[in-house]
Amino acid sequence: MKISHYFWHILIIVFIIIAIYPILFAVSNSFKHLNDAFTSTINLIPNPFTFENYQRLHETIPLLKITLNTFVIASIITAFKIVTSFLAAYALTYFNFRFKKTTYFLLISTIFIPFTVTMIPNYLIISHFNLIDSVWGVILPQLADAIGIFMLTQAMRNIPKPLIEAAQIDNISTFNIMKDHVLPIVRPALTSTAIWFFILAWNDYVWPLLMLRSRDSYTLPLALQLFVSSEGGTNFTVAMALSVITMAIPLILYLIFQRYIINTFSSSGIK
Amino acid sequence: MAKRYVSILLLTPALLLLTIFTVGPLVYTIYLSFFDWNLISPNKTFVGLENYAELFKDQTFRRIIGQTFLYIILFIVLNTGLTYVTAYVIAHLIKSNKGFYKVAIFTPSVISLVVGSMLFLWILNPVSGPVAIVLGWFGLSIPNWTVTEGMVIVILSLIVAWKVFGYNFIVLYSGIVGIPSEIIEAAKLDKISKFRIFTDIIIPMSSSTGFYILIMTIVQGLQYVFTPIRVVTQGGPNYYSSNLIYHSYHEAFDLFNTGISAASSVITLLIFMFLLAMQFIFVERNVYYEN
Repeated sequence: MKISHYFWHILIIVFIIIAIYPILFAVSNSFKHLNDAFTSTINLIPNPFTFENYQRLHETIPLLKITLNTFVIASIITAFKIVTSFLAAYALTYFNFRFKKTTYFLLISTIFIPFTVTMIPNYLIISHFNLIDSVWGVILPQLADAIGIFMLTQAMRNIPKPLIEAAQIDNISTFNIMKDHVLPIVRPALTSTAIWFFILAWNDYVWPLLMLRSRDSYTLPLALQLFVSSEGGTNFTVAMALSVITMAIPLILYLIFQRYIINTFSSSGIK
Repeated sequence: MAKRYVSILLLTPALLLLTIFTVGPLVYTIYLSFFDWNLISPNKTFVGLENYAELFKDQTFRRIIGQTFLYIILFIVLNTGLTYVTAYVIAHLIKSNKGFYKVAIFTPSVISLVVGSMLFLWILNPVSGPVAIVLGWFGLSIPNWTVTEGMVIVILSLIVAWKVFGYNFIVLYSGIVGIPSEIIEAAKLDKISKFRIFTDIIIPMSSSTGFYILIMTIVQGLQYVFTPIRVVTQGGPNYYSSNLIYHSYHEAFDLFNTGISAASSVITLLIFMFLLAMQFIFVERNVYYEN
């Protein structure tokens, strides 16, 4: 009984080490001298400790501009998606209209459309409006995403319907019902959906790869790709510094909002 | 009635965006799959089903279909099978530290796959990476996996598994916790083995969550793995790490064969629509059983 008990804990701890080790590996090597990184690979504590990789990174690429691009793109995408998803989820939860079920089903079906099916036409649309290599070129096609509608509908279904119906009968305006009755209750789900949108957009790779050409308009994941080479290792520690910067914001957001995020995903299984 | 206009108004922004950037493009890609075009030329040549015929004649493409199914099998094993077991272990076989385990396991799910690809490229570097060094102590070594047929797909799937594991775990965990605990306690009292509890109680009673994760793992995994393929191997060696998603991208934006790319995308779409139909049928059938 006791032995099997420890066995399960050890198994889970092994999984956690696999999950967390790459993060420690990146942080550790980003503060090592290049030589140390190759001579004391196993040792996770940098000795001596150095900031030179971050400095060299700053000299090699327009780091501040790239971080700002990533932040602006992720923020705008989050803001638009959260508003449009909230409004659509509200209509699908609290209004009855013809073809409501069909509308919901079709919306959710779009989650099953692979990005390759839309990439060529979207590329043509963006290039038609001369938005290639611009912030809006990256943002616009990504605003079309039904996953938020799905997540928020799940959260709204948990609010007792009579509460909303009573308000509707009392002729309270839709805007006021949203503001006073729905918003306060779904705020945790709304927060974690927004954080999730931000993280997704921050990490996005495929669409920026197609849209962005000049280094000044790059996002962080795209810039990181410049440092990939399995052969020459001269940029290794600098690449680790950029990896740390790229994952820092999502990790911080996750650590602050972990309870919200985990609760929201817990209830996101299809029912 | 005014109420009806309100609901239409609320739905308009989302529907408009999805029409312009998802449904419209989908229709246009199907249209493009019947043409020979290079993305730039003003003329498209209608070729009927020629692009599809060409794809199925092409040996490389048949290999890519095969690799796609290999990826699917790996995703099912790593991101559904292994994740299911882990969720069961944390939900029922251990009692302490659950909160910490959940938070720790989910962590990689928020990290960019470009970062993940970069880190595993170095961690699994066959010469100087930490894994190679530790294996070296025991006289073992890692093959040069980025150029090794067969092995490359496994490692690229592991990189995706590293990211997706936490997300799938959280969803499956809540599915398992949703099973009334009396049933499991009773089974434990009857001295039914842990394995049988998992196969005979846990899996059937959380099957709609499990099936959802299974389907989403395939649909998203094939798209997620695009990033490690692009960053690490560009589909190589010899298309052995490519899949349908990567191939569509490669044909369109590396080779400018728009029609071939579109045809390959439509084939992917058909597979995904089949999975959607399965999901729909399965959930419809099981919803009563579980509630």
